[in-house]
Amino acid sequence: MVASVLKIKGISKSFGVHKVLHDIDLEIAKGEVHALIGENGAGKSTLMKIIGGIHRPDTGSIEVDGESVAFSNPQAAMAKGISLVHQELSLVPNLSIAQNVFSQREPTNWLGFVKWDELHKRTRELMERLGVDIDPATMVAELSVGIRQLVEIAKALSMDAKILVLDEPTSALSEKEVETLYRIVDDLKAAGVSIIFISHKLPEVFRISDRISVLRDGRMIGTVKAEDTDTDEIIHMMVGRSIEEMYPPRASSVGETVLSVEGLSRGDELSDLSFELKKGEILGFAGLVGSGRTETARAIFGADPVDAGTITLHGRTVKFKSALDAINHGVCYLTEDRKDLGLFLTKNVRTNIVSSSLKKFASQLGLLQHSGIEDTAKYYVQHVKLRPADDKPLVMNLSGGNQQKALLAKWLCADPQVLIVDEPTRGVDVGAKTEIHSHLRQLANSGVGVIVISSELPEILGLCDRVAVFNEGRITAVLDGEGTTQEDVMKYATM
Amino acid sequence: MAISKSATKSSVREFVGRREVGLFLIIVAASAILSLLTPQFLNLNNFISIATGMSYDVIVAIGLTLVLTVGGIDLSVGSILGLTGVVTTMLLRAGVAIPLAVLAGLSLGALLGALNGTFIAKFKINPFIVTLGMMAVARGASVVLTSGYFLSNLPAGYLAIGQGKWFGIPIPIYATIILVIIFDYLLRNWEPLHSIFFIGTNPDAAELSGIKVGKMLIVSYILSGVLAAAAGVFMTSRLAMGYAQFGLGAEQRAIAASVIGGASMSGGEGSIFGTFLGVLLLAIINNGFVLLGLSVYWQGVVNGLILVIAVGVDAIRRMRRGEDRD
Ligand SMILES: Nc1ncnc2c1ncn2[C@@H]1O[C@H](COP(=O)(O)OP(=O)(O)OP(=O)(O)O)[C@@H](O)[C@H]1O
Ligand SMILES: [Mg+2]
Repeated sequence: MVASVLKIKGISKSFGVHKVLHDIDLEIAKGEVHALIGENGAGKSTLMKIIGGIHRPDTGSIEVDGESVAFSNPQAAMAKGISLVHQELSLVPNLSIAQNVFSQREPTNWLGFVKWDELHKRTRELMERLGVDIDPATMVAELSVGIRQLVEIAKALSMDAKILVLDEPTSALSEKEVETLYRIVDDLKAAGVSIIFISHKLPEVFRISDRISVLRDGRMIGTVKAEDTDTDEIIHMMVGRSIEEMYPPRASSVGETVLSVEGLSRGDELSDLSFELKKGEILGFAGLVGSGRTETARAIFGADPVDAGTITLHGRTVKFKSALDAINHGVCYLTEDRKDLGLFLTKNVRTNIVSSSLKKFASQLGLLQHSGIEDTAKYYVQHVKLRPADDKPLVMNLSGGNQQKALLAKWLCADPQVLIVDEPTRGVDVGAKTEIHSHLRQLANSGVGVIVISSELPEILGLCDRVAVFNEGRITAVLDGEGTTQEDVMKYATM
Repeated sequence: MAISKSATKSSVREFVGRREVGLFLIIVAASAILSLLTPQFLNLNNFISIATGMSYDVIVAIGLTLVLTVGGIDLSVGSILGLTGVVTTMLLRAGVAIPLAVLAGLSLGALLGALNGTFIAKFKINPFIVTLGMMAVARGASVVLTSGYFLSNLPAGYLAIGQGKWFGIPIPIYATIILVIIFDYLLRNWEPLHSIFFIGTNPDAAELSGIKVGKMLIVSYILSGVLAAAAGVFMTSRLAMGYAQFGLGAEQRAIAASVIGGASMSGGEGSIFGTFLGVLLLAIINNGFVLLGLSVYWQGVVNGLILVIAVGVDAIRRMRRGEDRD
């Protein structure tokens, strides 16, 4: 076997009394793609943050190229050739793409002034390698989550690392971008770079990795060669039992129209969109990143203004001036960007769960019933199977997938009549994903109109009764979920 | 650990918070040291004079805590205190009835606060810049209006507000205690005011959660302005004059007290009761200076140091928070 570039021995880590990593061993070979998988909260990101110099281990040792290292900060890890793409995006929103990619490392002339031309040229090259043609001077705040993810990857690529850690890089990307990423991973591998790849999407794990290591409850269960194993064995290693990846049965009957949208238009982002949502159905929004799905949701929700179009809710024309207005009418929207637009990271789980329904817990005079808040929060913690099953930890200390579950709990708690969910299973594990699907189906069965925006075609086709395909701000087709193939959808999404 | 014990402990903590308990212990320790150093400290008259002296700072700091919690800052509170005090006393000297003059002072405070809030919420101008500007404008206006003179000869009925006593305790002390209790209760329990915790933590997420971000921002600055004006009324009636330089440096003590009491410079956190304890701690330290006969010039240095330390500790605490659980 080729020499190991990275050798981890006996790593343990606790946060307070909570031990999240137990005695972990892991070896990464030169030029291999090594997948690290496990359920939400298994400890994958924590282990990577230790390798990347963000957390310090309590015990254990790390060797890079046979040399024992102890990183006291991320810069030290970078100096040894380790670069990390975080699960939670960490770009500075009011700086440009180029400034983010080369943050602290901008090319400068002898006077210390930034050489903007070169900075932009190099950023443009990196982004083109990732298949994105975009002005490097664009502010990050204006970018979708998918593009931000690509900028984050460009940043890691720009460091010429020998070990590249990708923590759920594909959770916000659409198929096309994922394909580009695969290609880059193959190139890097050929150039001798080792890649640690974290993902909950098992097909892609099998597609790109040489070896797979499985973590469960902070323990290393084992490492296997990808060619010697299969999905069932891996899932068994992950959860200790088998799970059927199954979608809930589709709607048996749908009722009257709950929401209808006609002629929705804004600039060149949305042009003349029309669709209907029926009581009891799940309607999917499919399409490429930037095709107008999120913009449509935000327009309906009253978060962004529109130029034209009518929205009818339960037969009455409505025009929401703000999110508050929409929520008061029972229309709720779970954002794709959980960190900046969805959650209150420095607050605890309880506070987050009730954040969009505070008024429900207030008396006529506006006085909050704290015991009601506590009970409700505890109920939803159980309901979405949050781990740890506690309403007191700060949301920023939850694992990525558990943050996503907390976000879902927040909107379930608001008692929606119409619920639009944008990438609802981003970063959640196989088991939890099935649970979220069944929650959405239960909502639909109870008479709520549900719209699911997802870049994962299997999810859209497996879960939804009907699928509206978006293409450059238009709906090009509305297809039946049943019997439609991914190719059909892609045809309308790219024609 | 017995379950019942931890349960009561956590409910006590929810009510007052770990921070307040720690602060209380520090205050007890500081008082113990001072009473050992000087016999004059442990004395009812000294306590009453500390309480009266700190009452203006407490009232101003309540407003500042609200503004910090909503994610802003208000540097203009000291100047608003000065200007509203000057305007109220000028009206009184012009013969305007006491209730009307007081109301006019409070309304002016509200108006200036509303201006701050509107520039910040609607025109998205940095709160530091907006209130720095208001600080200069309001102070300048007070100087222009008074030409630097003291405005004395105020009606006796007005002086009774600040100088009157019930059971030997000056009225401003009662007013301060009532305001602390009311605002502490409202911030914890009244949904509209409680929502400022969400706004200060993440304004974008708050907006999309149906919280009235713009409106509550403006309300917070209005409350800050009104409370500063109320402090101006108490101060001018207690000291029996209006003066352009009243409230100088009040913003600095209010920020220090708020942050010591648990407010964060990055928003989303704050406790009125904690702020009260913060002012109390500063007042005891300053009282110590006086009793021990240390130069008053050093007080400014020490107050400044306390501000920097409090804000520095807050920043470190936030950096560390990622490392351990609540
Ligand atoms: N800073 C922290 N403070 C306290 N607990 C933490 C902290 N970071 C992580 N944890 C806890 O450590 C455990 C492992 O979290 P980690 O983020 O490593 O999970 P993960 O395997 O990456 O999960 P996911 O698939 O959801 O991203 C979780 O229980 C989490 O709540
Ligand atoms: Mg993770």
